[in-house]
Amino acid sequence: MTAGTGSRTATRRRRMTLLHLVMVPLAIVWLFPLWMMVVFSTMPDSGIFSPEIQLIPSTHFIENFRALEADTGFLRTLFNSVFVAVIYTVLSVMLTSMAGWALVRYRFRGRGVVLGVILATLTLPYFVVVIPQFIMVARDFGLSNTWIALIVPPLFNSLGVLFMRQSFSLMPQDLFDAAQVEGVSEWKIFTRVAMPMARPTIAALSIILFLASWNNYLWPLLVASDPSMMTAPVALGSLIGFTRVSWGGIMTGAVLLTVPMLVVFVALQRHFMSGITAGAVK
Amino acid sequence: MKQRTGTAYGFLSPYLIVFAAFWIWPILYSFYLSFLFTRRQPWTWNPRVTWGRLVQDPEFFNALKNTLLILVVQVPVMIALAVLLAVLLNSTLLKARGIMRFAFFAPVVVGEVAYAAVFRLMFNADFGVINKLIEGVGLPAVSWFSDPTAAMALIIMAVTWRWAGYNAIIILSGLQSIPDDVYEAATLDRVSPVKQFFYITLPLLRPIIVFCVVLSVIGTMQLFAEPFLITNRGGPGGATETLGLFLYRQGFTVLNFGYASAVAYTIAALAVVISLLNLWLGRDAT
Amino acid sequence: MAGVSLSDVKKRFGAAEVIHGVDLTVEDGEFVVFVGPSGCGKSTLLRMIAGLEDISGGEVRIGERVVNDVEASDRGTAMVFQTYALYPHMTVAQNMSFGLRMTGNDKADTEARVSRAAEVLQIEPLMDRRPKALSGGQRQRVAIGRAIVRDPSVFLFDEPLSNLDAELRVQMRVEIARLHGELGTTMIYVTHDQTEAMTLADRIVVLRAGRVEQVGRPLELYHDPANQFVAGFIGSPRMNFLPGTVVSRGDGRVRLRLERGGEIELPLETLPREGAAVTLGIRPEHFVPAGQGDCDITLEVEVIEHLGATSFVYSGTRSGAQIIAQRPETPESAEASEHAGERLTVAIPAARAFLFDDSGARLR
Repeated sequence: MTAGTGSRTATRRRRMTLLHLVMVPLAIVWLFPLWMMVVFSTMPDSGIFSPEIQLIPSTHFIENFRALEADTGFLRTLFNSVFVAVIYTVLSVMLTSMAGWALVRYRFRGRGVVLGVILATLTLPYFVVVIPQFIMVARDFGLSNTWIALIVPPLFNSLGVLFMRQSFSLMPQDLFDAAQVEGVSEWKIFTRVAMPMARPTIAALSIILFLASWNNYLWPLLVASDPSMMTAPVALGSLIGFTRVSWGGIMTGAVLLTVPMLVVFVALQRHFMSGITAGAVK
Repeated sequence: MKQRTGTAYGFLSPYLIVFAAFWIWPILYSFYLSFLFTRRQPWTWNPRVTWGRLVQDPEFFNALKNTLLILVVQVPVMIALAVLLAVLLNSTLLKARGIMRFAFFAPVVVGEVAYAAVFRLMFNADFGVINKLIEGVGLPAVSWFSDPTAAMALIIMAVTWRWAGYNAIIILSGLQSIPDDVYEAATLDRVSPVKQFFYITLPLLRPIIVFCVVLSVIGTMQLFAEPFLITNRGGPGGATETLGLFLYRQGFTVLNFGYASAVAYTIAALAVVISLLNLWLGRDAT
Repeated sequence: MAGVSLSDVKKRFGAAEVIHGVDLTVEDGEFVVFVGPSGCGKSTLLRMIAGLEDISGGEVRIGERVVNDVEASDRGTAMVFQTYALYPHMTVAQNMSFGLRMTGNDKADTEARVSRAAEVLQIEPLMDRRPKALSGGQRQRVAIGRAIVRDPSVFLFDEPLSNLDAELRVQMRVEIARLHGELGTTMIYVTHDQTEAMTLADRIVVLRAGRVEQVGRPLELYHDPANQFVAGFIGSPRMNFLPGTVVSRGDGRVRLRLERGGEIELPLETLPREGAAVTLGIRPEHFVPAGQGDCDITLEVEVIEHLGATSFVYSGTRSGAQIIAQRPETPESAEASEHAGERLTVAIPAARAFLFDDSGARLR
């Protein structure tokens, strides 16, 4: 009896040791780039390019930020990024929720076609559309360096439609019928019954959309070349590869782009996870 | 349910307009564009300078070769790592699980530009911390940006760092949907944990793993920002030039829309074919 | 308040017709129950009256008004759902007032109506709770309260009690009956439970596969079923059916031989031909002691269920020709009761037996 429990604890301890022997070094490797990002952002360029290994943060963050602000009006681009991401998220949640709702709640002519086209084209690479999008927006409509160009084209993203559709379809449909019998208009059933009940899904979707817009690089790179309309990643990217820029400044920018998202990630981890796994459930 | 075509389209139309204008129409238009000579106005029908050029363009084949190399090496390594991470992160024996999760999942929120910048500095041949560490253990420094093989390895490491956690999140959610009693029953049947992994966990995870592979394939086919920013526009000498980067150059540097569209359609076709192949390989063997 | 009338009402889903022309008149203030097995179309029919499903053919009237093209919201009906359909993000009070608030009803009037309904249903202490914090019975009361608040001309109930446990079901059944007595409003109630139908209804509509099999008062259906389906559906445990053949006929009587043995003579107005295959129906509670009826049959006892006042004797379960007999139970009979494996002889009284032809139609 005693021997039995003893060997059981021993097995457990051995497994635990093995597990941590794998996980702890891996975790350190994985955290390393993030840590270095912070370290670099606090160092003068002389420190970054010094012959010694530097693993401890210094105190040069503010100076670095000033250098970055001088290289590119970073605060302005940061504001652009926030503005674009917020408006994009709000619009995208609205559009995809309404579409997802229609696909769940109503039987209508063309329903199968709409759903079929969305599903069939879901996994097509974005690169297939980027050239025509660019031709349309930049050349045909001359919308380069406008908010519309930055915000509207990426709204095509259909993952949200499927995510919201799933959320609505998991609700008891009787709820909507009950409201309908009570004389509530369809718009109010949508806004007062369905949307409040979909709050967790909307939260998850919003986080994913915000993050996608925040980190979006290629599209803003194509349509926002004017420094006053650049988003932060584009501004930062434009510095990479040139020698006469402050690398400490670039890293300060990288930290300013990354840390807020990490805070969101930690604070809203549950919604975050369900947003990322949303694609897998369809 | 009542038939309500009008109401339904009332709710649908805002999205459908955007969807049609910026997704469906470009998909079709891009196909048409891929047959046009677009370097001189007005654009003229001339598939020879797009598709005809594509099949014999060494630059294209170089990008294709690099992309497929990344696909064949990076995707399996990353998915295997993601499965391992998911299983280990799910273990009840793991301490400091919050920090562990943070370590692997945090890269998911890091933007391409930010992490490209860090990797460039870390792997800098002369001052980079990685080379200092390598030299510290007595090995020769690696010229990460001028040696073609090392540059490719760097891209693969960077992409793996960025996306392994993302896939692990998806696989972890799949793991957590496997009911505990399956494992309890297996334990009572004296099945070892390793065998439980290979005979219970992996088969049940197969659809999710296939999904992750498909996502990764599509992502790899459009790999752009990493070689653009980390290895300086696909350097050295095109050694890390990918299809995504090649398309960007043709489309937006040279402004050869017709040819770039042909490249875009090739990327799409390859992604679809490889995805279907995966789905077919991952289908239920019933 | 209003009656409801259906004439030749049809429902198609694509090419499939699921309601094949239903005619029915529900009087003002009447309590009508739609009953039938699952998939018989009873809920679809109710939803068509509510306006939640399109009407593919025929006409639905509420009061004098044809409502085929009237929106659900304008039909003056209120509906109680099986799932209760309470909005999870609103309190009980908000749930009950939601419809009125959204349609711009006067605020004071809304509050007055809600508190009156709360009083009727004795749910005043629950008004600030969310549905999650309520028991099944309380949720059902709130759902009914929400219907009452609207002061509808017709109440529609879609299997409202089937999510409740047995005890609550009985309690809520009484509650609904009381409510009908108090409000006097027309009520249409869908259930698959024939006991609910028997106890609640002024009239029962038995449906099968989108057709009305019979409409009548509960005891009418019990004592005078129109066909074998209704005979089998109404009454619990269900009626026993014994296949047989007509051996002779004449003089207003028919004589049949039961397949399991034994012959019985029944009075009949229209006589089937000799040799015709027929089915004799006899309810478990109508068997009489051996020798006191018109045909003795012997049962192999498989299981006896003692319910206290009565007991049920099961036989023939294994062979598929199940026969259930009900016997009164007294302290003495319990002592002398048969056991599994023994034989029991009972008799069929001809006056209590029904006869059906091979299509299931009643022979009278």
